[in-house]
This record gives sequence, structure tokens and C-alpha cells, in this order.
Amino acid sequence: MSIGPTIALFPEASFGAALNCVGIARALKARGARPVFICHAGFSGVFAEYGFQEYHLPLADAPVPETYWQDFISRHQPHFNLDPADQIETYVAPTWDAIVETAEQAEAPLFALLQRLRPDAVVLDNVVMFPAIVRAGCPWVRVISCAETELPDPNVPPYLSGLPADDRLHWQTFVERYNSAVGPVHHRYNKFRSRHGLPPLDQGQFLEPSPWHNLLLAPSVLRYDRQHQLDPARFTFLEGCVRQEAPYQVPEFAAGEGPLIYVSFGSLGALDTELIKRLIVVFAEFPARFLVNVGAFRDAYRAVPDNVILDQWFPQPSVVAEADLFIHHGGNNSFCEALYYGVPSLIMPYCWDGHDNARRAVETGTGRRLHRAHWTADELTAAMQSALEDREMCGRLKDNESRMVPENGVDLAAERIVEAARQGAVKSAPLIRLPGAD
Amino acid sequence: MMQSNGGKTASPRPRQNHLDLARRILDVARERGLGPGAHLPEQYLATQCNVSRTPVRAALKLLTEQGLVEHEADQGYRLAKGVSLTGAFAEPLPDPKEAELAARIIRDRAARRLDETVTVGEVMRRYDSDRRTVLKAFGTLAEDGLVSRAPGQSWVFANLPDSLESQSDSLDFRLILEPAALTTPGFSLDHDRAAALRRAMVALLAEPDDRLDGNRFRQLDLEFHMLIARGASNRFVSDALAAHHRLRGLPGAAVRSNVVRLRQAMLEHLHILDHLESDQVAVAADLLRVHLRLSRNQRPRAANRGVPPLAIRAKPREG
Repeated sequence: MSIGPTIALFPEASFGAALNCVGIARALKARGARPVFICHAGFSGVFAEYGFQEYHLPLADAPVPETYWQDFISRHQPHFNLDPADQIETYVAPTWDAIVETAEQAEAPLFALLQRLRPDAVVLDNVVMFPAIVRAGCPWVRVISCAETELPDPNVPPYLSGLPADDRLHWQTFVERYNSAVGPVHHRYNKFRSRHGLPPLDQGQFLEPSPWHNLLLAPSVLRYDRQHQLDPARFTFLEGCVRQEAPYQVPEFAAGEGPLIYVSFGSLGALDTELIKRLIVVFAEFPARFLVNVGAFRDAYRAVPDNVILDQWFPQPSVVAEADLFIHHGGNNSFCEALYYGVPSLIMPYCWDGHDNARRAVETGTGRRLHRAHWTADELTAAMQSALEDREMCGRLKDNESRMVPENGVDLAAERIVEAARQGAVKSAPLIRLPGAD
Repeated sequence: MMQSNGGKTASPRPRQNHLDLARRILDVARERGLGPGAHLPEQYLATQCNVSRTPVRAALKLLTEQGLVEHEADQGYRLAKGVSLTGAFAEPLPDPKEAELAARIIRDRAARRLDETVTVGEVMRRYDSDRRTVLKAFGTLAEDGLVSRAPGQSWVFANLPDSLESQSDSLDFRLILEPAALTTPGFSLDHDRAAALRRAMVALLAEPDDRLDGNRFRQLDLEFHMLIARGASNRFVSDALAAHHRLRGLPGAAVRSNVVRLRQAMLEHLHILDHLESDQVAVAADLLRVHLRLSRNQRPRAANRGVPPLAIRAKPREG
């Protein structure tokens, strides 16, 4: 019996990247490959539940106490209310610090694990490069599952800026402030790369495009008109990467009728129970049925209105398929799922590329944007109402759905990854440089 | 705290609960097209009505008193000769309003529409019900151990397996008792029920992912584990597991899993059944342990780039 290529998928420790990779891994398996997962310490169980083998990078120190998260949330809750530019120093730079520290800690165990696994290819869905992946000597494929802004171009607004495509005046200001704040950790990261034989990256960059192949989770309806076109031999745009779940049967509500609105801000957003409580007060008066993802914190809620159902986990793609509106934080996976099922988004971004996606939703007429905290009940009501009643937007989204679904992004991703693994068997890494990244 | 379900030594339950169950037993007999003289096996009725054998026995005794059922010491219960199942039950039945209210109360507690402690007045206002109906509904819930009386006019809801932590405790409880239910000498498999379950599980597995019914999975999962509970030779193990599975069947207690895990769990059930039907009980018990361990939700509670994932609070476990 012939054994297909072993593909080691290494997503960052966030649900968006993880579940995006699960969809790809299932398509890889269908093609006869053997997908396995490498996960960060503590981020376990997600892939095993989908039937995949997990390899855990060892914990650097003792298990993380719960107070770590409480401190994290207490510290950053106010920062999530700031504009993207004001988040640079308060949230983005400290987060890069933590990301680089994780990469440094992971290097030795990751290198040892890859030596043991000897995969035919590695799939990296992350925002930072791990030298161990290049040192493994096999092809590696980068998945860009954040917004398209992650890959710079003179025509694309700066990553994490949330700036409009036609507001170039502020682009440079943002970039200068970003590079200044992130400079020290970037310098530290380049030294780390150098120690492991990798060339330094340009200012603000923490992950280079793969010389083998790169997959961008950017449906055509959202794409920017790049000055430097990406070489299709090395870059593939995916029309979403949506995994299949069991169908969702909409539960009976104690009361209420009308459109179905699904609300999920990801696991980070679920920690902000005070914000969700504020939302629920408004939902109670709105003529719709609401499904709200509250993660592990259902016990934080009381007197839940009859038109609202809370749950700790939803099979999100199947729920979005049934929804009339999706209120989310702008995570790229969530946004792509909304687009895939032709559902309008109301994006209330917290941080990172959520700002970019919220802006892009408005620019492309695929959704609405609302500040996560600075809103009145009337404003939230109006935003939901207008998203539900915008016939033009609904038509655009339905047209887009009919384009995205037949493209089968997960299958295309799997095809490209298997091709890269095959290339690796016959030649060494090609050398490329990203146009416009200089 | 769950009300003790002390098997054959438990004191009789209040009459209204038995009336309700008696009606369900007659419904089962009617649905199965049973005629006068037909045998009424306790185990079968317990499985069909999703209760333990103790209340079934009490309900059958009630039907015997009504002349609808006959009992012979060595042959068990049979439908009485000349009985007509249409409109046969003369005893006043439980008010459907009370049963419906009880169901709504427990559903709304699971949805966190009701607090852990509620007053009678609060419930009267919420459901526009009179005091008598509300008290009867609470009485029904108390019989099932779902609420207990608190000082004043208040009632407190019991712990349900409806949060990540309580579901983890539920799995620990089952890991202790379910394999023991199999390995304690005297386990008896209901082969007819097992065969019917097998057919239903195979039919579910034949569905494609986009039609795989999560609710149907949940129903079959409960039936499978109830089959093990019912087969236990130790009455207290049997009753404790059956009572716990009834809690797992309540609204809000469902453990959500993805389509892959649903399929895998169903295959694990079938594998366990293979060994039970071949009288390889020890192997079945080992497979059951593995099945329960794999069913534990290990997803982190929260994750975000730049922050170590937040694990589910877990108690120390053995190896």
C-alpha cells in the first residue's frame, strides 16, 4: 500500500487559523496525504477532535495560570476600544513581543520534532517565521489567513491600520508610527533569525513569503488592485477555506420570530462578557432571533431574553449558512464564512486585522462596521436593521456566494500543498523575493 | 444534590409522577399494538420511557390497581384480559399544564433565562400561571431531583451538566461507573434493544456529512449509554447511571462536537457493541473507557495570538 506525503500543519494558537487548517487537512486527507498537526503548548484537543494526530510543542515553563488571562484581559480591555493607530503601542507592539518570545522558545523543540517527523512539507499558518521550518529542509507553504493587508504592496493599506484604500495621506503616518513602536522587537527578531541562519526581514515584517508556495485567504470580492501582481506560480488566492460541519438545526426560541442573527466575537471576544451583556439588552428589543457564542462563560449571564440563545460552541459554518446576519469581530475566517454563505456582516473589531476587514467590508459593500464599544442602542439597532434591509448588498453577496462555493478553496489549497511536497522531492528551494516588499 | 434513586429499596414516589408514567406505558403498549394478555417487560418499558425500573414498577402497580394490568409473581406484568387501551385510564391524569410548565422551567433555566434560585411569585408572573400549577410543576421537578426547596417561597436548581466544568465532572463520573457497570458480574445485555440500536447507528453513519443529524446522534448516544446502565447487575449503579443520563438529556446539557467526532463516537459505540454481543465484556469495558476519554472536550477555553491558550479547568487525573 502506498503512503501519501506527510504534511505537517502548524497553525498559530488561535481558533481562526486552526480551523482554517482543519478544512485544508481534511481535503489533504481526501487526496491521500497524511496530514498531522503541530500545536503550541496548551492548544491541544482541537485537531484530535477532528481525527488528526497532534504533536505538542512542550510547555516552556509551568502551565499558564488562569490569572494570566484575567490579567491579559484587564490590561487590554481598554486598548480594544482605541483606534487602530492608538493600539500600536498599547496592544500591537506588546503582542509582537509575546509572539517573538514564543517563536524563540519554540525553535529548539520544533526543530527536534521536525527532524523526528521528517514531513514531506510543512504548512505554516502564522504571522511569524520559525527558522526551524526552513532548517527542516523540506518545502513549506505559507497560509496567509489574515486579511490581504498582511502581504504589503504600495496599493494596499498598511497591515492592521484599518485605513481606507483611498486615504494614502494617513498610510505613511501609520507606517512610521508602527515601525517606530515595533522597531525594538523587530530588531530582536532579526537577531534571532540571524542566529539560526536566516536573512533579516524588512522593517515591520516578521514572516517572508515562502519560496515554494503561498496561499492567501482573500476572496476576489475583497481583493485590492495590487501594483505588483503576485506570481500565480507562487501565490494562490483562495475563495475562502470553509470546512464542512454537520447541519445546524436552529433551536426553538422561547419567544420571538424574524431573521436569525448569529453573534460571535471568537474566544477572545467571549471573555468580554460586559460587552455581550450590553448587546443582549438591545437584542431583547429587536425583532429577530439571536444565537450568541459566549464560550465558556454562560454562567456569567442571567435573565437572558426569550429571543436570545446562548451556547458555548456552535458549528460555525453551518450556523452562518442558516443566518441572515453575522455580527463578528472581523476575524478573517469568520468574514470569509459570511461571504461564502452570502450573509452580510456587521463587524465590531477588537484588534489586529479585524480593523482591516471591517474597513474592507464597508468599502466593498459586503458588510457594515460599528465601533465595538462606542455605540448607543439606537445606533446598534440601526446598523442591524440597515444590514438586514440592504437589498443591494444582499444581491451582491448572493452573487459572490455563487462564485465562491464552486471554487472549493480547501481543495485548491490541498492541491497546491501536495504539489509543493512533490516539488520538494525533486529540487531544492527556489529563491524569490516579494515584489514591493523592499 | 440529586435525589437518591435508591433502586429497589427506595420509598414510593408521589402519585402524580406515577400517573404520568402509567400513561406513557399505555402509550407504548398502544404504539406497539399490544393486545390483552401481552407481556409488559419492566426493562423494556424502562428503556422506552427513559426511566429506571423502580418507577416503572410503581406505575405498573398503579395500572394493576386500575384493573388495566395483571401481575403474576413468576410471570411479571401483562395487559389485563378484555382491556381496551382507548380511553382506558379512568384515574385523573396529571394536568398537562403542570407538565408543560415544568418543561418550560427547566428549558429556561438551561438557557439562563431563570436564575439558579427562583421564587414562586417570580415564576407565576413569568409564565402567567397560578400558584397551584407552579407548585405542582416544582413538585414534578423535585421528584426528578432537578430542584429543591429553599427557605421561603424559593426553589434552587440542581447542578446540571451544562457547562464545560460540569460536563468534565460528568465524564469523570461516567468513567468511574460505566465500565464498572459492564465488568461487575451479572451484566445482562438487552439483545433486542442492542440490535435495534445497531441498525439505527449504522443508518446514521450512512448519512453524508451535510445531512448528519446532530440531534439524532445525541438521542442514539443517550440510548446506547442507557443500554449499558440498564444492563448493570448492581441496582444502585444502574439507577445512578440512568438518572445521570436523564440529566444529560435535558436541554442545555448537550456536548457539542464536530461532525468528525460524531462519526467517530458512533463507530466506537458499534465497536463496543460488537464485544458485548460476543460476551467479551472486559474488552468492551476497556473500549468504553477509551470512548469516554476521547469524548472529553479538550479544546482550550480561549486562545489568541501572543497569549498562551487558556485550558479548561481540569482536576488532576490518573495516568
